[in-house]
Amino acid sequence: MTTLTRQDLNFGQVVADILCEFLEVAIHLILYVREVYPSGIFQKRKKYSVPVQMSCHPELNQYIQDTLHCVKPLIEKNDAEKVVVVIMDKEHHPVERFVFEISQPTLLSISSDTLLSHVEQLLRAFILKISVCDAVLNNNPPGCSFTVLVHTRDAATRNMEKVQVIKDFPWIVADEQEVHMQEPRLIPLKTMTSDIVKMQLYVEERAHKT
Amino acid sequence: MDELYLDNIDEFVNDHDKIVTYKWLSLTLGVHVNTAKQMLYHYLDHKRKESSAQLHATYLVSGKFEDNGQTGHKVSVVKEDQLEDFKSKMSLVVSVHVYSVQKALLKDSGPLYSVDYDAVKDNLKNCTKFSAIRCASAVPMSSLELQQARQIHQVPAPEPEHKKPAMNGEANASKPSTKPQKGIMGMFASKAAPKNQDNVKDIKTEQKEDTPVAEAPKSKPAAKANPMMNFFGTQTAKKPDKTEKKEEAAQSSSSAEVQRQSSQPEEKREAPAVQPPKDTKKEARSKSKRVVDSDSEEEKMEKKKRRRIKKPEPDSSDEDVIPDSPQQMKTRELSPSPEKEVEPVSHSPSGNSQKTRKRRRVLKARTFVDDEGCIVTEKCYESESYSETEDDVQATKQASKDPVPAKRPASHKPDEKKSQKKTSANANKGSKQASIMGFFQKK
Repeated sequence: MTTLTRQDLNFGQVVADILCEFLEVAIHLILYVREVYPSGIFQKRKKYSVPVQMSCHPELNQYIQDTLHCVKPLIEKNDAEKVVVVIMDKEHHPVERFVFEISQPTLLSISSDTLLSHVEQLLRAFILKISVCDAVLNNNPPGCSFTVLVHTRDAATRNMEKVQVIKDFPWIVADEQEVHMQEPRLIPLKTMTSDIVKMQLYVEERAHKT
Repeated sequence: MDELYLDNIDEFVNDHDKIVTYKWLSLTLGVHVNTAKQMLYHYLDHKRKESSAQLHATYLVSGKFEDNGQTGHKVSVVKEDQLEDFKSKMSLVVSVHVYSVQKALLKDSGPLYSVDYDAVKDNLKNCTKFSAIRCASAVPMSSLELQQARQIHQVPAPEPEHKKPAMNGEANASKPSTKPQKGIMGMFASKAAPKNQDNVKDIKTEQKEDTPVAEAPKSKPAAKANPMMNFFGTQTAKKPDKTEKKEEAAQSSSSAEVQRQSSQPEEKREAPAVQPPKDTKKEARSKSKRVVDSDSEEEKMEKKKRRRIKKPEPDSSDEDVIPDSPQQMKTRELSPSPEKEVEPVSHSPSGNSQKTRKRRRVLKARTFVDDEGCIVTEKCYESESYSETEDDVQATKQASKDPVPAKRPASHKPDEKKSQKKTSANANKGSKQASIMGFFQKK
């Protein structure tokens, strides 16, 4: 059993890597399940030993990767409180919000043997839950788009503005219009607790979608 | 059997929003799989009569399937609405039972596998405890036997063991289709692999296209992959069309080079609504950025080369050049615009003047180079030399500028500059020898 602190950046990077990989798969899956993009662009791939749907559209993939690349430093420092995938209708009003609440314990005690396989199992459960989430959600109106918002702790965004992690991929403070959702209904989906990270996934849905 | 199981299943399905497969249920409740199947059936029946919540079910159908005189046994997982249709297609239905019950309508079969994965993994040693499939001689090897087997046959030994847990419906659920999907996916197919893998993958996809095409008329091994494709309604409909088209294309030629050619018109034909040439063009662009920069042209140029051999006269070669030029224009432009946009653009400069003709000759010359598979650039220039005179050289320079404004609306600027540079560079180098060789060609 080793005890690591947040200053142990290598480990922070490992956790951030795991989470970003997971978020990438989750975002692709959300886009597939909620039919934001036609299902023809998705292809089955394997992750965590189960089949998942990933998009093959190069620009979409690049966008998602760039987004997560910028989010990664925030997760490393434990500045990211929530990563939200917002699905918006044609008028750019949010219709659904998939909220991943992430928290990392400051002191980590790890037993290296079972750590990753257990985490893999938990992430697999998340993936499965996203696959069946349309049982509890109403259908979205056609012509939806999506965006990713990150809620950070304290003033982490100031650092982000100073340092552009990826060129020509700026992050801006979200508009009130994009953040505020009318009459939200909360539907919890999944929670996981592990040694390295605690994550909760819930969906906020607008009561009247069309 | 008491009625508690109905409540249990109800809890799983409605409260936890789980997908309840019969295998998962048998492992969770500790009952034989056949009992689990019956439980699911009764539950479904019960709920349907009550008509309370909307439930979806998938069924496992197995039976004999006849195709072109050959019978095969097919086992597949189908959605409820496709069940009757599927059963009617089979010559003999051996068994039908409920595979899973869930609240959500599943768009694809992935989650079914995920559901059973963890349950089986937890019970790996005795996952067959409740199974209905038994074979007395199928006993796991001891570790010693395993080592011996591994030394003798490295590959086949571990495989049967891996396949054991993946029994029943699992094998179908976990096998993705090997055929490359065309249509929207055709756009991304070759671009996905980087650099030289593009070529390799291209050849591989073509070979794959060939082999499934060859097999299709005989029997339908793809039929085995098709069960899971039942989930993908429109895509299955597309597949037979595509195999037919691939058939036509593959039969028309035998060499790999010509196949590339044929795969291009094939791809262009197949998805008119979805920008088919994007694939070939992007492929062309990625290739053209490599050292062997006229690979893309190579394919199209080979057509020209053949024509050139047949008609060695320079005058007739002009005519040969023109119909090919639209393709050249495409590779040159390197833009994602559809074929239709490209052709009118390319045709307009071709109609203009002789200047454009000569310019195309320049491009054509390049293909020769590639054909021999030798150093591309040098021979490019050489071939240019005997197809041009000094006038031609100047004409090519002018011509390269003329069609550029026409190209611009359809192409990216850096590509234009590249092509401009290329033609001007070629023209420059060609001018050295042009005076000698152009003497013959000019008349």
